Amino acid sequence: MATILKADNLEKIYRVGKVDVPALRGVSLAAQEGEFIGIMGPSGCGKSTMLHLLGGLLTPTKGRIVIDGEDLTAATDAKRTDIRRRKIGFVFQRFNLFPTLTAEGNLRLAERIQGNGADDPDRRREILRMLRLEDKMHHKPLELSGGEQQRVALARAVVNRPAIVLADEPTGNLDSENSEIVLNMFRELNDRFNQTIIMITHNPEAAAACQRIIQMRDGHIV
Amino acid sequence: MDSLVVSNIRQRPLRSAISVLGVALGVALVMLFTGLAHGMSDDLQKRSSNVSAEIIFTRPGSLQLTSASVNLSTKYVPLLQQIEGVESVTPVIRHFYASGAFGVDQVEGVEWDSFSKMNNIRIIKGQAPRSPDEIVIDETKAARNHPVGSTIKVFGDKVYRVAGIYAPESGARAKMSMATLQEALEAPDKCTFIYVKVKNPSEQVAVAKRIDEAFPGNKIQLTREIFATIENSIPGLTIFLRVLVVLAAIVSALVIMLAMHTTITERTREIGILKAMGASRFYIISEIEREALLISFIGLLVGFALAAGAGFGIHKATSLIFEFSPRWALTAAAIGLLGGALGAFYPAARAANLDPVNALAYE
Repeated sequence: MATILKADNLEKIYRVGKVDVPALRGVSLAAQEGEFIGIMGPSGCGKSTMLHLLGGLLTPTKGRIVIDGEDLTAATDAKRTDIRRRKIGFVFQRFNLFPTLTAEGNLRLAERIQGNGADDPDRRREILRMLRLEDKMHHKPLELSGGEQQRVALARAVVNRPAIVLADEPTGNLDSENSEIVLNMFRELNDRFNQTIIMITHNPEAAAACQRIIQMRDGHIV
Repeated sequence: MDSLVVSNIRQRPLRSAISVLGVALGVALVMLFTGLAHGMSDDLQKRSSNVSAEIIFTRPGSLQLTSASVNLSTKYVPLLQQIEGVESVTPVIRHFYASGAFGVDQVEGVEWDSFSKMNNIRIIKGQAPRSPDEIVIDETKAARNHPVGSTIKVFGDKVYRVAGIYAPESGARAKMSMATLQEALEAPDKCTFIYVKVKNPSEQVAVAKRIDEAFPGNKIQLTREIFATIENSIPGLTIFLRVLVVLAAIVSALVIMLAMHTTITERTREIGILKAMGASRFYIISEIEREALLISFIGLLVGFALAAGAGFGIHKATSLIFEFSPRWALTAAAIGLLGGALGAFYPAARAANLDPVNALAYE
């Protein structure tokens, strides 16, 4: 299996007024293609910071990140955005769907952002079908349950076939029943399509779905 | 259509409507004012060009656009007729009086036979004025519910009967006999100016010179010089229109800028999501610009409709003519769209530069 993500000695220091706050203190990790990795740790340990760094939403104070052969840390902001667009799909705790668009519209937006004239209605429907949302394609987020919204968010994250899906507490706002459904979807994506997933979670059930767990504390991997 | 641009506009219908109206206002102002200004100017031009006389003889200081002095003696009429090269002469009194919605109207006193013959004007309905209480009007005035036999008030309360309708339109829209107007103004043997028609138009300058030599101290002008610059003789009209255009553009831009700024502040998290999805700065700016342009385009259409409606209403209520000008329509369209695009640019650029992590966390 190829190494799809490699992060070396990541440090991230936030400047808060006149005080430097270290969020990450030299974190290294590697993910193989098709791995389903969970990151756990107490609040404030740096999990979200690391996820944002891996997704190119933040730049590290020190260290290096390579995703699918492309150096994220050496890239300009425009290049980082480009890598994120092609290689990474995000799933957030708060779903973060566009409320004015339907389920299919949210996926279509992801395709339009991808550019290159991408417009594959068959693929959109296939993904929505796989996530048991084929009869919800034309519904807006307000018309969907929490679990359904998160599945749409997951569908949006994978519609462009990213190298990695980064999920930030995807079951954090869901009840146990919907959490189970969403986690099963993550497992299915990983099993059937060899999708690489890195997921932050506090949920032991979610952690159980992962192939590997990384524990963090105080900005370190323990 | 499952489009972010369209759905964003529909999500806030009241704000979108206000933004559209803001752009529409700028467009309508440009179309309405230029339409009325050009309508008035072209109408004056048209009526002025239906004067066959090459020379106007008057007292110094007369014949500005609003001049209505009756201080020229009609004794000059037979004297001018004797000047070499003169074919015919006819005196005219021009009088302005308070009237109607616009506040001012115009009537001319003429010797109908010589006037109509000189300027190729004919009565198309009814007859020329014969009695002191009769008046003739042009087709535009007649169309405003003044058929032959109806009455019109001039000088406030004085009622005149419409004896006839003449064409083509020339000078004031209403004409009465010179004697009648002289009596009404208590100015016997006086007129405002005298039209002089020459035998050979190519000799009009020479004839004008002869008249000046024969009657020094008066004002002699060629009609081709006066009537060619109607628009320029309305003080500051061109400047006024240009200032109006600039103000309209500023209004449109400011309205859109404010609307987009508010929209973007409300949608900060959505912009963070777009960035997380890999939307480039260019994509984010172009989405916001497309939304602004769509609002501006709708505002443009509404503005044209408002201007057309207002112009029609003003024309119905007054004698002002609204003239649609393709050139000004294009200018108004450019103002609406450019103003919208420019107004949205600053908020769009700010949105594109938002920190994605902070934007995602925005409540």
